[in-house]
Amino acid sequence: MLTFLIRRIAAGAALVAVVATATFLLLNLTGTDVARNILGETATRSAVAAKSHELGLDQPLVERYWHWAEQALRGDLGTSWFTGDPVNQSLMDTLPVTLSIVLAGLLIAAVLSVALGTAAALRGGWVDRVVQFAAVLGTAVPSFLIALVLAVTLAVRLGWLPATGYVAIDASVVDWLRSITLPAVSLAVAATAATAMQVRGALMDVLRADYVRTLRSRGLKPRSIVFRHALRNAAPPALTVLALQFIGLISGAVVVEKVFGLPGIGTLANSAAVRGDAPVLLGTVVVTVAIVVAVNLLLDIAYGWLNPKVRVS
Amino acid sequence: MRKTVAFIGAALLTATATACGGGASAGGDTTLTLAESVTATPWDLAKASLGPESQYYQPVFDTLVRLDRNGEPTPNLATSWSYDKPQTTLTLKLRTGVKFTDGTALDADAVKRNLLHTRSGAASAAGEIRDISGVDVIDAHTVAIHLSHPSASLLPALGQVSGMMAGPESLEDPKTPVGSGPYKLDTSATTAGQTYTYTRNPGYWNKKAYPYDKVVIKYLSDPTARTNALLSGQIDGGTVNLNRVKTVQARGLKVATYQPGDVEGLYIWDRAGKKVPALGKREVRQALNYAFDKKAMLKSAKTGLGTPTAQLFAPGEDGHDARLEDTYSYDPAKARRLLAEAGYPKGFSVTLPDLSAAFPREQAALTQALKDIGVKVKLDNVPGDQIFSSMLSGKYAMSYFKLGAPTGWDKVQLQLTGKSTWNPFKYHDPKADHLITRIGKATGPRRDALFKQLNAYVVDQAWNAPWSVVANAYATAKGVTTTPQAGLQYPPLHAYAPAAK
Repeated sequence: MLTFLIRRIAAGAALVAVVATATFLLLNLTGTDVARNILGETATRSAVAAKSHELGLDQPLVERYWHWAEQALRGDLGTSWFTGDPVNQSLMDTLPVTLSIVLAGLLIAAVLSVALGTAAALRGGWVDRVVQFAAVLGTAVPSFLIALVLAVTLAVRLGWLPATGYVAIDASVVDWLRSITLPAVSLAVAATAATAMQVRGALMDVLRADYVRTLRSRGLKPRSIVFRHALRNAAPPALTVLALQFIGLISGAVVVEKVFGLPGIGTLANSAAVRGDAPVLLGTVVVTVAIVVAVNLLLDIAYGWLNPKVRVS
Repeated sequence: MRKTVAFIGAALLTATATACGGGASAGGDTTLTLAESVTATPWDLAKASLGPESQYYQPVFDTLVRLDRNGEPTPNLATSWSYDKPQTTLTLKLRTGVKFTDGTALDADAVKRNLLHTRSGAASAAGEIRDISGVDVIDAHTVAIHLSHPSASLLPALGQVSGMMAGPESLEDPKTPVGSGPYKLDTSATTAGQTYTYTRNPGYWNKKAYPYDKVVIKYLSDPTARTNALLSGQIDGGTVNLNRVKTVQARGLKVATYQPGDVEGLYIWDRAGKKVPALGKREVRQALNYAFDKKAMLKSAKTGLGTPTAQLFAPGEDGHDARLEDTYSYDPAKARRLLAEAGYPKGFSVTLPDLSAAFPREQAALTQALKDIGVKVKLDNVPGDQIFSSMLSGKYAMSYFKLGAPTGWDKVQLQLTGKSTWNPFKYHDPKADHLITRIGKATGPRRDALFKQLNAYVVDQAWNAPWSVVANAYATAKGVTTTPQAGLQYPPLHAYAPAAK
């Protein structure tokens, strides 16, 4: 198990490095006029040249890359070209916002999809058909549309929850929950739909398996069969889908953060991309990839915990 | 389930690591919460821009003069001022007893250091006072500002970011702002790039001009989010998109539309016809001016808000001449005739940058109008962050553009001289050059007359084909009143007050 983990961590780190390098090259090969964008249309040519020099844009690409990589390895992702804020600080400020809505969205999706998937698999009939129909609908409707509808109805019209903004959890737990509820629900819909279908399918397969028939014949209670045995065996495929959904949720967060005016990592990446703020954009890419790698690692560990056979192989 | 519990635990841990992000205010005091569409620039005034981001500075940094509703300077930190005869030295008398929040006095030396520091930068606030050649301390409360040549825009500039005063000790590398303004930044309730909270500066000399005890400025880039925040009462003021004005008004909010002076239209960069020979002919450029149904374009692209125009200078700016507005009315037949006269009976071909991503309706109207008079348009795709650089490199003979500048004179400097930044083909014309030089030296009514002459010449030569003076809409909550100020994109902080009940 230990060597397995070390190998996975090394592979993950390599992936982060490759993506970071590729992003750096892509961002710096396009030859944008960043200094002009920073200073605005009223700046003079000499001012723009001075700014380019200040940012080191007149240096060779390789040199700039080494400088960036060396700093990054020491844990310093540089400073924003536009605001001068340290990228690390901006990430520290925005990451909790995104993680709050993504993890809350994931939690909602996990609970709902197990409940709906199990109900569909066990009950069958009209319950199954309703769940399947809702799942198709949930996958088809984009999350920004759901976000818009929720914002306009529940927040603006009815005033039940805040329409925009994020309250940090240490400021007020209740306000934090209120501020993340609508964004998390918007994100959870598609993930729930996809995962519920996975749970339903896996559970149906497991319930048809020989060992379940054996358990039944021994007179075990149906409830015990479903919850102690079948669900546990149906979990790995559902978990894979859920982990994949996590990645989807992070990208969905970009749009949902925009609609709810949340200062998350998606908003940060978005404004950095629009302005050409390379240090900030690189920082968000590196951190996002690192999170995705970490989640996959956790998934492998979870597999091992659920299914000892994986640990041996 | 154990896994999900662990997930939440992780979320809680990371979330607690952050600073607090703007909770609700305690009862009793009055708070003004505003939304900004742009992020704040650093607290260093040498790196400051003039645009909407100046709202982040206004609570902490007081200005030398204050601009009234019409943009005219009135006393503030400077109580009186006068120019010398050649109009190249401005002497300011400073208010006594004003202190920065770090305890240092605001005196002539502090003003000198501030002006020289801001001027040393490269951003637009620095550009506004580039004409300052030196600053002399006459006595503790008198300061003389020397100009390299007379400038009508110096005093107005001293009422904006360029005239903001920061504590002299904090000028180099300010981590937090030190000013003498009505408020102080509350760092414990501020998250850089997201929410800025300002509380009263107890030592401020003009407290009654600022009725709010606390000011919160939130960064909300998305127009939908801003509108939702306004409608649900989370913010007291913010800009709204023109197409949302009716919705917002219908819900009882107040909307002020105003014109910050941006003029949009088809900007003709290649007036000498270096790239597209047809554009070198005045008749062709005039034909382009006749091609646009300005009223219809305002209606379709701007929900009817804004003013049709034929000139580069907006109402209220130097050089603006109302009589010029009727120069080119919509007349596609005349446009075709002019093209034929110039030797292009079948029109000509031109490549434009496709700005549909940012200005979909404007771009569509422009392309259609040109096609209607026989100009064959090819659209080039340009990534958003390369639009400026591609235009400035002279890649396009003409394009949609929106030019805004704090004063009419700034517009001249930005576009009409041979050295201007927004003159990518370096076009110049001896007659215009001569007029510009004379305007630079003239003052008073003489200057106005020359400015109008320049404007009339540029319109007659059809250097550009402007359509409209762009309108912005600023919405405020029911409990707040505000008055937009001429030439500013956002109302200045002192223009907000609780509505009378």
